[in-house]
Amino acid sequence: MRSRLIIYITIAFLCASVASCQKSEMAPRQGEQHKVRVVASLFPLYDFVRNVGGERVAVTLMLPPGVEPHSFEPRPADIMGLNNADVFVYTNQYMEPWVSGIIKGMDSRHTLILDSSKGIKLIEEKNGGHERGHQGDVHGHAGMDPHVWLDLGNAVVMVDNICNGLSAKDPANESYYRNSAEQYKVVLRGLDDKFRKGLGNCDKKTFVNGGHFAFGYLAARYGLQYISAFGFSPDAEPTPGQLVKISKILKQQGLHYIFYEELLAPNVAETISRETGAKLILLHGAHNVGSEEFRKGVSFVTLMENNLKNLETGLQCRNK
Amino acid sequence: MPEQIISSDSLSYRYNSVEVLSNISFDVEEGDYIGLVGPNGSGKSTLIRLILGLLSPASGGIRLFGHPTLEMKCRERIGYLPQKMNFFNPFFPSTVREVVSLGLMSGKKFPKRLETGDNKAIDDALDMLGIAHLRGKAIGDLSGGQQQRVFIARAIVNMPDLLLLDEPTTALDPETRDNFFKLMKRLNREKGVTIVLVTHDTGSIGKYASKLLYIDKEIIFFGGFDEFCMSGDMTAFFGPSSQHLICHRHDHSLLALKAKPKDE
Amino acid sequence: MMSIAEYLQYGFIQRAIAAGAFISLLCSTLGVLLVLRRLSLIGDGLAHVTFGSVALGLLFGTYPVYVSLPVVMASSVGILKLMERARIFGDAAIGILSALGIAGGVMIASIAGGFNIDLFSYLFGNILSISVEEVYTSVILSLIVLVVIVFNYHDIFSITFDEEFAKAGGINTQKLNTMIVLFTSITVVLTMKVVGIMLTSALLIFPAVTAFQIAGSFKYSLMAAGAVSLASVMLGIMLSLFFNLPTGATIVLANAFFLTTAFIFKRVRSRGRT
Repeated sequence: MRSRLIIYITIAFLCASVASCQKSEMAPRQGEQHKVRVVASLFPLYDFVRNVGGERVAVTLMLPPGVEPHSFEPRPADIMGLNNADVFVYTNQYMEPWVSGIIKGMDSRHTLILDSSKGIKLIEEKNGGHERGHQGDVHGHAGMDPHVWLDLGNAVVMVDNICNGLSAKDPANESYYRNSAEQYKVVLRGLDDKFRKGLGNCDKKTFVNGGHFAFGYLAARYGLQYISAFGFSPDAEPTPGQLVKISKILKQQGLHYIFYEELLAPNVAETISRETGAKLILLHGAHNVGSEEFRKGVSFVTLMENNLKNLETGLQCRNK
Repeated sequence: MPEQIISSDSLSYRYNSVEVLSNISFDVEEGDYIGLVGPNGSGKSTLIRLILGLLSPASGGIRLFGHPTLEMKCRERIGYLPQKMNFFNPFFPSTVREVVSLGLMSGKKFPKRLETGDNKAIDDALDMLGIAHLRGKAIGDLSGGQQQRVFIARAIVNMPDLLLLDEPTTALDPETRDNFFKLMKRLNREKGVTIVLVTHDTGSIGKYASKLLYIDKEIIFFGGFDEFCMSGDMTAFFGPSSQHLICHRHDHSLLALKAKPKDE
Repeated sequence: MMSIAEYLQYGFIQRAIAAGAFISLLCSTLGVLLVLRRLSLIGDGLAHVTFGSVALGLLFGTYPVYVSLPVVMASSVGILKLMERARIFGDAAIGILSALGIAGGVMIASIAGGFNIDLFSYLFGNILSISVEEVYTSVILSLIVLVVIVFNYHDIFSITFDEEFAKAGGINTQKLNTMIVLFTSITVVLTMKVVGIMLTSALLIFPAVTAFQIAGSFKYSLMAAGAVSLASVMLGIMLSLFFNLPTGATIVLANAFFLTTAFIFKRVRSRGRT
């Protein structure tokens, strides 16, 4: 008798779980104060949307604070959040390779899927001059450097893409978005100028970080040489050869500073520091921020301003 | 007054709220050679474990050499052969010598070391079991019977005063079994070793042991073989064939016993 | 291409060799005991518990290792108890604690609203990034554990071979089991921070299994495991210098190479006998 009861209950559960798979009719939001729900996959995008969308959007960042994005895999709750959003902004297919899989399962009539790097010329991956080979891209091309946002010119393009996306989704507020975007772009261009001036007159032309290769775009924009300890994913282990090479470069070029990156334990940078006596400074890749910073409401612009200060120190620039 | 080797008092043991042993009281004296028999699941191995202090009784107590067994005293005076199917991982990397040397460790103090005398003791023990030629071999490379003999050697290597053997002959062929019982008899008669031997082999035990401890959750019988064989009541308990087997193989025939006065 | 001598001038390589040598002996010795007791995956399991405990430590704002060590040590004793009292097999017990560790960590991270650093990167070291203090820690830990094991060699052999017999012989099996498991947890936490979980796990398992292919006695198993472990660390470092390969992974592959060789050697030898 008891076993029959168990069987009935089990069958009931199974039916219920299958039933829940049906598309639930989303109750339409009451009232016209409906904010545009945006989900961003990376901190800079989150910040851009905040600035362009202002009060008209409710934006969330998919990455929990403190989590390093290159190994991030969206969890079921994240995917649900995406499906419920009006707009989903991601960086590009190389930063979030998991996007293509997710997109297939999403209803694009409901959610606008926005590639923020549209129209941006991507640089091929390289590391200080020698070929690193494929990063294992699904489509079989050589990998491209995904860190486009660190070139402030690209950032401007991304802001435009976001503005266009928000306007398409919420045409009623198009002028608001365009206005905000313009104001924000002014800030970004101003920052770009500061960078150009600040980094234009420096003793050193090379900067090195003991982390992954994130600053290619930034270096290219200001005519600097950039070397990193290892490739694109911080999961990779550096080889002894790379560490030796970096130590030698620091010594040969008389560099007194080695940069470490945000969120990750600075083991490699510390090793190089021990070896060469170089001092450690932070160069923030703005992928994501820690919970402290997040609570304090840090912005992409502040992160970059700090980066500028630190680069000026590290490159021994003569502007003070 | 011979030494009280084992002294059990109203011992009982429970496992998963099933009573496995109940009201076990008996004494083993120095020089006794006891056959511990009983049907499967009667608690024989459990009793051995209780005697060794590997299990705690539910009630009652048990003493070894006068000390409560849980105090783990006088361990160097004990030799133990666990039931073979207990544990054994034949892939365990270890030589015959190493295994037998484990039997020498109970007497030693920290830090334990193997002395020169120990190697001789190991060789002697292996010799007694007829496997001296296997001393350097890996235990996993031996046959079941050879492995069993290694474990017996481990039990006797320390020249214990008390031997507790749980089914020592299951894997042995008849000739080896015979030699084993002869060895036990020598140890018991010549060296005064007290032996408690668990076995299903009621025939052989009848031939050599001095006392029979028959348990089936309780003590069914504990006493000399003479008593056992003389008592007509026992037939009812054990069935004629069982008793016949034990007593038939006994040194004295029933008829001769009836004639002789109750002796040594 | 630089010569070995030139490479050896670099501090980080010297430290890799020094710490690597001691850690290899430490892990291979413990590994023999663990593999024989079917606890091979305890390294991985405890690593997951460490993840949870580091989250806890960060939540309280303390240096995570101060929280990790006691939590992991307690978990390892928990694994022992699960095996004794609840009669759960070793691998299942490890799995249970492992899953709890990860779930705990994720839960804590969620409640805390994230952290300032990426948990995994904090936890998992790399053999090329060892500091001087970490070299000292590795050496001291290895010496302590190895000395204790040597002094208790026969008892440890006894309980690993046949725990019941050992107990009957008066050996305090409870104390020794707890000691071994606590040593393992300390080793996992500290070694993981120094060389990373990949290497820690590998060094706990590979050398032991390799030794079992070729050694016929317990004593030689321990010695062979130590030798193979040391050799693979040294070989791995050398190869990674020559061919500019990631050092940790190269050491693991060197381990695999030795295991394969030993296995083939064993097959050849046994076929030669028949």
